[in-house]
Amino acid sequence: MNPFWSMSTNAGRKRSDGEEQGGPGEQRSSPARPPFGKKQLPSIPKNAVPITKAASPASSTQSANGTHASYGPFYLEYSLLAEFTLVIKQKLPGIYVQPSYRSALMWFGVIFIRHGLYQDGVFKFTVYIPDNYPDGDCPRVVFDTPVFHPLVDPVSGELDVRRAFTKWRRNHNHIWQVLMYARTIFYKINTMDPLNPEAAVLYDKDIQLFKSKVVDSVKLCNSHLFDQPKIDDPYAISFSPWNPAVHEEAKEKMFAHKRRPEDYNKGLPVSGLSWVKPGSTQPFSKEDNPLQT
Amino acid sequence: MTSMVANGTQGGQSLLLKGVDPETCMIVFKNHWAQVVKILEKHDPLRSNGGGHGHGLGGGGGLGSFRFGPVPGDEASAVQNYVEHMLFLLMEEECGQNGAMGPILEFVVMENVLERLFIWSLRREFTDDMKLEQLKMYEMLIGQARQPLLHHKPVLKPLMMLLSSCSGSPSGPSSSAVETELVLLLNQLCCVLAKDPSVLELFFHTSEDQGAANFLIFSLLIPFIHREGSVGQQARDALLLIMALSAENHVVAKHIAENTYFCPVLATGLSGLYSSLPTKLDVPSEEWHCLHREDWQQLPALVQFLNSLEFCNAVIQVAHPSIRDQLVGYIHNGFLVPVLAPALHKLTLEEVMTTTAYLDLFIRSVSEPALLHTFLSFILLHRHDNVHILDTLVSRINTPFQLGTVSLALFRTLIGLYCEDVMLQLVFKYLIPCNHMMLSQRIVLRERDCYSVSAAKFLALTPSCCSPEVMPPPLRQLDSILWSKGTDGSHIGTTESKEVLSEEDECGNSCVIGSEIYLDVSYLHYLYDAQNGISHCMRACRVWSAPYDGENPPPEEYQRSTLEEAGKTQPPVTSRKPPNQMHRSGPPLKDITATPGLLELEWDDSYDACPAQLQPEEDQETRPIPDEPPKHIQELRRTAIMIVKGSYIEESEFQNDVMVYDLVAQKDAHDSGNSYHASSKPTEAAKQEVLDGPVTDQKTTNSESSMSNGLSSPLDEMDSKKRGSQSDQKSLEGEDLMAQYEELIRTLGAQHSPAKTDSELKSPIDLMDEEEDEIDFNSFSPETPEAEKLQSPFGTKPRSGSRGHAAPFTGPFLSVLLSRLENMPSNSLHVNLLLTGILAQLAAYPQPLLRSFLLNTNMVFQPSVRSLYQVLASVKNQMEQWSANNKDFLELLTAAQHCLLARESSLRDSQSPQNGDWFHSSEADRIKTKPNIQPKTVVPLNKTEVYATVLFTEFLKELAAFAQEHSILSHLPTEQ
Repeated sequence: MNPFWSMSTNAGRKRSDGEEQGGPGEQRSSPARPPFGKKQLPSIPKNAVPITKAASPASSTQSANGTHASYGPFYLEYSLLAEFTLVIKQKLPGIYVQPSYRSALMWFGVIFIRHGLYQDGVFKFTVYIPDNYPDGDCPRVVFDTPVFHPLVDPVSGELDVRRAFTKWRRNHNHIWQVLMYARTIFYKINTMDPLNPEAAVLYDKDIQLFKSKVVDSVKLCNSHLFDQPKIDDPYAISFSPWNPAVHEEAKEKMFAHKRRPEDYNKGLPVSGLSWVKPGSTQPFSKEDNPLQT
Repeated sequence: MTSMVANGTQGGQSLLLKGVDPETCMIVFKNHWAQVVKILEKHDPLRSNGGGHGHGLGGGGGLGSFRFGPVPGDEASAVQNYVEHMLFLLMEEECGQNGAMGPILEFVVMENVLERLFIWSLRREFTDDMKLEQLKMYEMLIGQARQPLLHHKPVLKPLMMLLSSCSGSPSGPSSSAVETELVLLLNQLCCVLAKDPSVLELFFHTSEDQGAANFLIFSLLIPFIHREGSVGQQARDALLLIMALSAENHVVAKHIAENTYFCPVLATGLSGLYSSLPTKLDVPSEEWHCLHREDWQQLPALVQFLNSLEFCNAVIQVAHPSIRDQLVGYIHNGFLVPVLAPALHKLTLEEVMTTTAYLDLFIRSVSEPALLHTFLSFILLHRHDNVHILDTLVSRINTPFQLGTVSLALFRTLIGLYCEDVMLQLVFKYLIPCNHMMLSQRIVLRERDCYSVSAAKFLALTPSCCSPEVMPPPLRQLDSILWSKGTDGSHIGTTESKEVLSEEDECGNSCVIGSEIYLDVSYLHYLYDAQNGISHCMRACRVWSAPYDGENPPPEEYQRSTLEEAGKTQPPVTSRKPPNQMHRSGPPLKDITATPGLLELEWDDSYDACPAQLQPEEDQETRPIPDEPPKHIQELRRTAIMIVKGSYIEESEFQNDVMVYDLVAQKDAHDSGNSYHASSKPTEAAKQEVLDGPVTDQKTTNSESSMSNGLSSPLDEMDSKKRGSQSDQKSLEGEDLMAQYEELIRTLGAQHSPAKTDSELKSPIDLMDEEEDEIDFNSFSPETPEAEKLQSPFGTKPRSGSRGHAAPFTGPFLSVLLSRLENMPSNSLHVNLLLTGILAQLAAYPQPLLRSFLLNTNMVFQPSVRSLYQVLASVKNQMEQWSANNKDFLELLTAAQHCLLARESSLRDSQSPQNGDWFHSSEADRIKTKPNIQPKTVVPLNKTEVYATVLFTEFLKELAAFAQEHSILSHLPTEQ
């Protein structure tokens, strides 16, 4: 029996904060973006008493770009949005991530292992991105439940990412690579300098015991699958048992639904004009009648 | 007596009829008819001559000759009264069973009642009153009858006779009352047609019987197409109904297209209406740059024109394609080319400006793609005096005063159409070859700016006096937003982190610490606007034929073909020849198609003017360009000089003509190779001759180069020098002439405003300053034509020799925009608003070629190509200089911000955004505001530097926002 895991977010995707017209919906509702409307800003939390700029820790870190510190957060956020769109482009098999509602620097993820020693494993994790990104260290990946694995810390659940990205180089390294790496470790096991020496030793010395420990670990992880997310965040990933009343419809849609381009055209009825014949660079080179749809 | 009876019954009709049974009605009807017939027969010549049978249907031809003596008044009104009552009975009658005729209608048909009545009214004096009576009768019948009447020939035929009698009234035009009634009736008939197309056939057939023109209803409506007021509106509505009918009925479409003058009337009507528009507009303020609703509603002639244009638009929308195509053709050949094109090339700035504003309004008023196609192909492809309208319009951006501004507004409209053809001609055809960038950069073209580097570089240009640290913005307070971050590892898993926890954290073991940073909230708005703008634009551009990404269309191919064609049509010009000997051999058709990058170069190449050394010698020879702009541009520039005098003076009164002539004469003296001499006739007539000469030359030679006959005003001469002449000899002359011209301008400028000169001289213009013998036109006065000012930074380069015209060039439009932008500090506020607005529109386009040129600050361009970033850097320097030299600058800045915010809120109150194009409103959003702000001190608008600085700072944010949003939106995986 292969249960159909349904994945949903805690509070549901806050589509409503996307008053943003247009733009492919998926990314535009990215939670990293503060939910502001055209001229309305989110209400300021009560405890957010005005602080002078000097007190802000980010102002110093962000002046690296040589510009006004007050724009630093914007650069950071857009860098992360760019990273996120890159992840989407990569279509990494079995990996799903979603930035948290509260911070673009924290992403929730889940990884599905489809074969190998860790087959059927469903591991939730969180990605922490340093706030001086992309000039700082590499992002960190922490599994919600410490998986039994040589490169995963048995206590904190943190994956040893740094061995793959000794120096994080902007323009060269991207977060999707980290995610890719997080997936690879379950298929190609490396026991050098382990964070979990026990696992490393067992893998090298007693593969059978290692295997059974892995099976136990996978079982343990999966048994916690329906737990409340560790971090309370509207966009945290949470699972619930298959419930036809809730999920069937969504499933149908996922299978039936091709993105309909007309969805994007709702709202403002705009259309550009073109009478250029494809392949030509002359205006009005289309020979057929001037009407175009 | 009879009339009294009739009156008596008339009063209670409606009441009476309610309960009355059909048979009684029938009896009453017959009774009345019998009375009427008595009177009719009494006056029937045929009857009285011997009582023929039948119903007295004299052939149409004989009708006129049977008029006997006048019918006594009481008899006439008796008939009238009976008839009214009878009509009422007829109207009220219900359909018979199974759709059969009711008894009264049957009687009417049998007895041919209506036709006899019509003949009766013809027999009497067929006056307007008579017509009116008859028209009203049918109007009532058709409007209110409960059974279909028009299917019956005895009803339809007299109606058609009546209508044709109205059409061909020999006694001159009918009274307006008749016309009103006629149009009302026609409108009603059209409504019936629209509901029941089967009637249509009957109309055609009846017309044939009559031998009258087919489809009389339609023909009768045509004269009212352009009528103002409700009559015109009703006629147009009726015609539209028929147009809609034509879309489905081929016969109707064919008839209209082939047998009527509908399309020509419609199109030439536009010409007629256009001719009654004011040739010069009373411009309300200097800030004015386009015709808003409030403006044109004040001008009845313009309202009427727009009504007709709107009608054309509607016809094109609903009519059969054959009609649509025909109409579009007539509008092009009957209005745009013969009327609008010359109007765009009138001699005075004011007239040209007015025409430009009209054109802008027309394009904004048109919505049908087919009609837009006509207007746009006119602008892009039509040549007037051998120059594309588009090039002329682009060149005018640089003309001083309102013409430049109005031209800018026109381009704002054009760019807002998201039309590939427009953008191709304006921008992309110059960018496609990728000549403007270093070869190595082509790979970078589509690269994304992952880390907002470009945005940071734009924002770093913020003048120090405006940086938030130095001067916190006054009103757009630093609203705070919560900026929370993910934590360092130290906080993970630990509970109760020491720092601020976000409130919503109920479970206490949050990993999120919050830290608030005070952000420039206005920047969020810019991001929001940019996101809207870009995604809007991306959606619109989906219909485009190519992505313009540096690969498609392929740069190499495009380049080669252009060069080849250019080589064919343009023999090398190494020596000057009389114009009419040049390019005879060039195939004229090629000429039209081979233009990209050639002809256009002459308009404003100032920006990309580059040292000739860059180009191999032979390259220059294969790509000659004309020396001079065409006549109308010269003419404009000449009038521009007049404005140097401070106020506009009518051409004929221009005092300094003599000076101009001297210069022309001197020029001619040097120009030994030139066949034309106009050296000694400083008279008006001679001038005209001088100006007209080249035009005819152009026509005969059909080549751009033919314009290079040196018969131009000094300004153009100077231009051509700057552009680079093709022989050393000429450039020497150029130096000479330049000096003289310089002198001329100096004298004019000096008289004008010496005070300004001083201050302006103090503010040198950055990068270009090193150029030793630059002529600083800026130093003269703010009234110096901007066209000239702009060229100043490049004054030296071209004079150093000829210039290779294969030189990297981003096209006249971008060049002009950037050169005007560089003058930001001295531009008036509204010019800057327009400029930055247009650039923001352009920045929204997702095509990598344009996006990388405008927004990628890391791109390496050819040295001769100035990027937006470089221009902005130059502006920043000017502003830094200014603020350093003016102690009260900071205070003024703050005050100006207040003023702009106040202006903003008042604009927002008074204006609702225009139909759909949110860019207009976004221009208003450039400075974000809270409502109801009153500026404490008003900074006068002539403090352009102050306003420009405020605007500049905001513009940087806007651009940065575009750059950031592009880094996300333009790289989203496309669906599928």
